[in-house]
Amino acid sequence: MGILGLAVGVVIGLKVPIILPQAYAQYLSVAALAALDSVLGGIRAAVEDHFDNTIFISGFFSNALLAAGLAFIGERLGMDLYLAAVVAFGVRIFQNLAILRRHLLKK
Amino acid sequence: MKGFQWALALVGLVLGIMLAFQFRVTREINKTEPVQRAQRMSAEVSQLKKERDYLQASVSELRATLDQLPAGPRDTELKEELEMARILAGVTELSGPGVEVTLNDSNITLKPGENPNLYVLHDEDVLRVLNEIRAAGAEAISINGQRLLASTEIRCTGPTIVLNKNKRLAPPYVITAIGNPDTLEGSIKMKGGVAETLQFWGIQVGVKKIPQVTVPPYSGGISFDYAKAAG
Repeated sequence: MGILGLAVGVVIGLKVPIILPQAYAQYLSVAALAALDSVLGGIRAAVEDHFDNTIFISGFFSNALLAAGLAFIGERLGMDLYLAAVVAFGVRIFQNLAILRRHLLKK
Repeated sequence: MKGFQWALALVGLVLGIMLAFQFRVTREINKTEPVQRAQRMSAEVSQLKKERDYLQASVSELRATLDQLPAGPRDTELKEELEMARILAGVTELSGPGVEVTLNDSNITLKPGENPNLYVLHDEDVLRVLNEIRAAGAEAISINGQRLLASTEIRCTGPTIVLNKNKRLAPPYVITAIGNPDTLEGSIKMKGGVAETLQFWGIQVGVKKIPQVTVPPYSGGISFDYAKAAG
């Protein structure tokens, strides 16, 4: 189901005639990274059998918005705050992937 | 379990849209920007080329017109008249035989109590020299590179003189005049003449006959606000 949703989303994203202004590209990239992290975290939770729908959904959106907002504020303040989001979510993505890998190998 | 499925689908959808958008934006930045820039610049280049060709064409057209112009006899006459008028107005550079008169302040050391004004070159002295030169038939005169017109004034402004309304000159003054060199020299150096009077006060007057002198044109504008041709 998740894969199907992803496929539909990619198709929609590629076909939609509007295109995001380049000024917002950075925010979107950080948000996408956060979303990716949330999804991996959700999969990990599902594998570990303590998946909570509400936590998953809220985490997904709040993380994405927070990351984008952080990048936005950072740009206004002249600080590369998006780097913080990139590093934090990047580290977490790798951690989640490692844990997932271990779970898959144990099976 | 159904809610969980829907949540996954929604999350997948949003993530998919985000990633696809990101992909497109990145591709846009990488590809379209330089292409657009190149297109814009090439358009600019072709526009400028067109402009250049147009200007080139107009240049050759004008040249052709110019070549045809002096053909007629009436035009030649007009051109001569115009040239004459320009020479009279003083807006052309002229050359010919003439003299160079150099005037400078006195080199006599003052005795105490003497009036230094007596030993300084004044506007009147310059005027007298010019008057003599003109009387001797000078056809074109300049001082320190400033052309003398029919309307040129010479006024005293402290240690300098002003002519042509705002041209300020300081000594030494070099007066260049076109005319018969011998007559011009004689008019300055004649007995009891201006040079003798000035030299009495130690003012340095030098006259040099030159076979070929050049008098520069008047560089300012000439305008008549009140005078109009009568009749």
